[in-house]
Amino acid sequence: MITYLGRRAFHSILSVIGLLTLVFFLTRLTGDPSALYLPLDSTAEARAAFARLNGLDQPIYWQFLDYLRDLLQLDFGESLRQNRSAMQVALEAFPETLKLAAVAITLSTALAILVGSLAAARPGSMFDRVASFVSLAGASAPDFWVAIVGILVFAVGLGLLPTSGTGTWAHWIMPVFVLMLRPFGLLVQVVRGTMLSALASPYIKTARAKGLPRQKIIFGHALRNSLLPVVTVAGDLATSLVNGAVVVESIFGWPGIGKLMIDSIIQRDFAVVQSTILVTATAIFILNIAIDLLYAVLDPRIRY
Amino acid sequence: MTIITPDTKPAAVPGSGSVLLAYLKRDKLALAAAIFLAIVVIAAALGPWLVGDAASRLGLRQRNLAPFALASGWIYVLGADTLGRPILARLIVGAQNTFGIAAAAVFASMLVGGTLGLIAGYSERWYSHLILRLADVVMSFPSLLLALIVLYTLGPSITNLVIVLAVTRMPIYLRTARAEVLELRERMFVSAARAMGAKPTRIIVRHIAPLVLPTLVTISAIDFATVILSESALSFLGLGIQPPDFTWGAMVANGRGYLATAWWIAFWPGLAIMLTTLSLNILSNWARTVADPQQRWRLQTLRKAAR
Amino acid sequence: MNRSVHTIAAVVLMTAAAPSAVAQEAAQEIRIVLPEQPANLEPCGTIITNVGQILSQNVVESLTVIDPVTGQPQPKLATEWTSVDPTTWRIKLREGVKFQDGTELNADAVAFSINRMISGKLTCSNIAKFGDAKLTLTPVDDLTVEIKSDRPEPIMPTLLSVVMIVSPKTPVDQAVNDPVGTGPFTLSTFSPQTVVLDAFDGYWGKKPEITKATYVWRPESSIRAAMVETGEADLTPSIAIQDASNPETDFAYLNSETTAIRIDAAEPPLDDLRVRKALNLAIDWEGLAQLFGDDVKRASQMVVSGINGHDDALEPWPYDPEEAKKLIEEARTAGVAVDTEIKLIGRNGIYPNGAEAMEAMMTMWQDAGLNVKLTMLDVADWLRYLQKPFPPERGPNLLQMMHDNNKGDAAFTVPIFYRSSGSYSTLADPAFDKEIDAALAATGEARTNSFKAIFGKARNEVVADIPMFHMIGYTRVGTRLEWKPDITTNSEIPLANIAIKKD
Repeated sequence: MITYLGRRAFHSILSVIGLLTLVFFLTRLTGDPSALYLPLDSTAEARAAFARLNGLDQPIYWQFLDYLRDLLQLDFGESLRQNRSAMQVALEAFPETLKLAAVAITLSTALAILVGSLAAARPGSMFDRVASFVSLAGASAPDFWVAIVGILVFAVGLGLLPTSGTGTWAHWIMPVFVLMLRPFGLLVQVVRGTMLSALASPYIKTARAKGLPRQKIIFGHALRNSLLPVVTVAGDLATSLVNGAVVVESIFGWPGIGKLMIDSIIQRDFAVVQSTILVTATAIFILNIAIDLLYAVLDPRIRY
Repeated sequence: MTIITPDTKPAAVPGSGSVLLAYLKRDKLALAAAIFLAIVVIAAALGPWLVGDAASRLGLRQRNLAPFALASGWIYVLGADTLGRPILARLIVGAQNTFGIAAAAVFASMLVGGTLGLIAGYSERWYSHLILRLADVVMSFPSLLLALIVLYTLGPSITNLVIVLAVTRMPIYLRTARAEVLELRERMFVSAARAMGAKPTRIIVRHIAPLVLPTLVTISAIDFATVILSESALSFLGLGIQPPDFTWGAMVANGRGYLATAWWIAFWPGLAIMLTTLSLNILSNWARTVADPQQRWRLQTLRKAAR
Repeated sequence: MNRSVHTIAAVVLMTAAAPSAVAQEAAQEIRIVLPEQPANLEPCGTIITNVGQILSQNVVESLTVIDPVTGQPQPKLATEWTSVDPTTWRIKLREGVKFQDGTELNADAVAFSINRMISGKLTCSNIAKFGDAKLTLTPVDDLTVEIKSDRPEPIMPTLLSVVMIVSPKTPVDQAVNDPVGTGPFTLSTFSPQTVVLDAFDGYWGKKPEITKATYVWRPESSIRAAMVETGEADLTPSIAIQDASNPETDFAYLNSETTAIRIDAAEPPLDDLRVRKALNLAIDWEGLAQLFGDDVKRASQMVVSGINGHDDALEPWPYDPEEAKKLIEEARTAGVAVDTEIKLIGRNGIYPNGAEAMEAMMTMWQDAGLNVKLTMLDVADWLRYLQKPFPPERGPNLLQMMHDNNKGDAAFTVPIFYRSSGSYSTLADPAFDKEIDAALAATGEARTNSFKAIFGKARNEVVADIPMFHMIGYTRVGTRLEWKPDITTNSEIPLANIAIKKD
């Protein structure tokens, strides 16, 4: 177990370093950010001073070595835009995304297990067909479009929900709903599929023959055995949830890491881009390990 | 159940077109999806010929014309956009770019991902490990963000968009191909070929690749919908296709500012994206049912009962 | 157990009671929703819209302010100014002004603030308005300070409107996010979600009606407009024309911005005067104006009226497609390669409907027979084409621009655009340079007339650009407030000028 975790951690750290290196050079290729931070009518001296102040006048490999050296001392650089530690900026935004993602993935998994199981219990029924269609529609909907149509209908048209921002519980409804769509749609399919094959397996037939109540068979026996693939898919989805978060956060003005990342890419705030990537990649790596551990809990046959 | 005996290769059994068509007729939803896709593909293919240059002709005095008003001609049935260009014509022309980019990206990622997967599966040299690690890096990071960074660096253009989309989808083909190769490598016919002194390249190209290809093609059909969604999201965020070129995603972005006053500008292209991806997903679900011996009876029972 | 029940009950009671308390207080509190998150709150960056709209005249104040109607500098922290000699100005400061941290405003504090700006130890955007002038500060007595520049600076009092005076306790070598100034409001919170300002009790001037202002930000104009409509916010600057649909809450104001296309006159076929004239004539200006609203004014020059040097008599180019085609044909016969591909370079998000305008203009030029191809770029890439040194491979290009001069004088416009050394200029005409230098050194009537002559020459003889429109901004103001935007709204929203309606 320990050696497994160790190897896993080693690989992940390698991946993160690879990613950071890649992003470092890619972002630097986009050119000198001084033009974005100084007024259009600045003098050439002002520009040179800005570059010198922020170490942008050094050759790129030198900047990279500097970055690595600072990284070892846990110094992640200063945000050009916000005049403060880039890591602090990233860590302030991250919990906002985490909250949103956690609520969305929990709700969609729970709901998907319920709907998927019920659909699998009576395959071909009206409920099954409606559930299949709705889940497919959810997985197919462009999230950005659902979000803006949602604002149009519920906030501008009906005035039921706030347009955007954070604050009350009502602010959560639309972002969570939009973020849930895709994971919910995919998970219903997975739950339904695995439940169907579980229900067709010999041990369920035995349970049925013993006269166990239907609900107990579905939610007790069959479900337990279908959880493994559900956890796998839910874990994969959590990574891609960050994709959704970028879109949702930028539309609803949610101050999370996705919005921060987009803003800092566009503003060429390199230190912040690096920090957000470091934070996100680390979070995903921890999540993956957690999922591996969850496997061991769910299926006693799995040993690392 | 005597007509079709499930055997080891279920997908190949309902091979003939007429049987597939019969299955399609059984599933009304899949039929509707297939018809919708056919219409969209035909429109995209014949688009320029159908609508002429209506998609780019200015009508500054018809800006934001409301839909369902036929006074200006049938082409304005879905309304006009911010420069008074008919939305229907732009949907048709935009379909071409939307599908073209998605198809190119899917094909490129299948080709490159598949090839790398074959190599990584067959050889155990250092570069196989490198390929796998690189796939891990791409997989372990949200694809949209990676795409954003790369597009921002390279500059948004159609070619770069295709490259970026292809790279983010590649690991799926790579891993699938590798998994298949790992299994096929141990099969008798490969060992036989190797024993007869065939070169690795020849074994991979002649013996293994043809067996891996069908799986990859199946995946690519499902992936097509995902790629359309990714491309739309990138174009919506402003880093995808750039004016004067446009896709459906860019059309939504264009109408985003007019939601409160002219909802139709953003609504129709969004609906087009949704219906297209939904149809693709319904069809691939249907295909899975057809291929699955445990499920296929759903599409057969009625016919048997009728007999 | 019992205790926790009580606690819960108390919390429920409190939350139930809260709305009424808020309702009473809310009368003096307002919420403003801005288009962009302020990057930081460094007082030296107030010429950046999203910083200035929060800080300017609220937290920090300048020595002078520009009158929006006349363009003339008015007293603020400075009460009088005199020119001792062409390079020296003597400034008299207001008495009895205290910073929010209790320090007195005096000549040393002013010298400190200006030295901090020009030190080069922190990124200071405002200093750009001074160009590369070297300033020396000398306190004369407690409330008098002398500013010496290395060359004559006839518009020094105007320039002083961008000098924000900060407490001498502000760090010299580091940008700050907690500015301390002399304004009627103090900064209370700055988080990624909001900025909150509270009234400052020790303010030297008239006490504002507003006691607390909360700023939030949303990029979407339609969302911001909806927020004011539903009462989520009280005021939002710069909404798009299509969202300004309610005449009761939406106010139009000339916002000092002028849109234009720069013609790269150094690259063939754009070096031909006929082609440059044809470019101006081929645009259906009335149709294009539809994109920006009924109130925009067709522009004939790069500054708005009210700026010293603007010529009211200068006529904009008309729409004459026949004449445009004729000019292009003439140029073709004369051997000009009019079929060369011309790049039209637009910038994403430059102003509302900017991309649509570029698409429309491209189509109109194509109809006139020119081979124009549109490329939309992001800010940083677009800047490479805007500023010298231009990319070597640039080729014939037309560049989308927007110029904002709300500083009262054409000196902030003419040298950058038309002098051969100007960072946006594609011209190289020594005679024109000389004319510009003379105008910059002139004062009074002569200054105004020489700038007018330069704009006339740029419009009629040189045709270095395609002026489009003097833009209109729209602001949505909630029905609760008594306030109207003006030409300065893009750089500041003084809370002291906002009143709450009594009803």
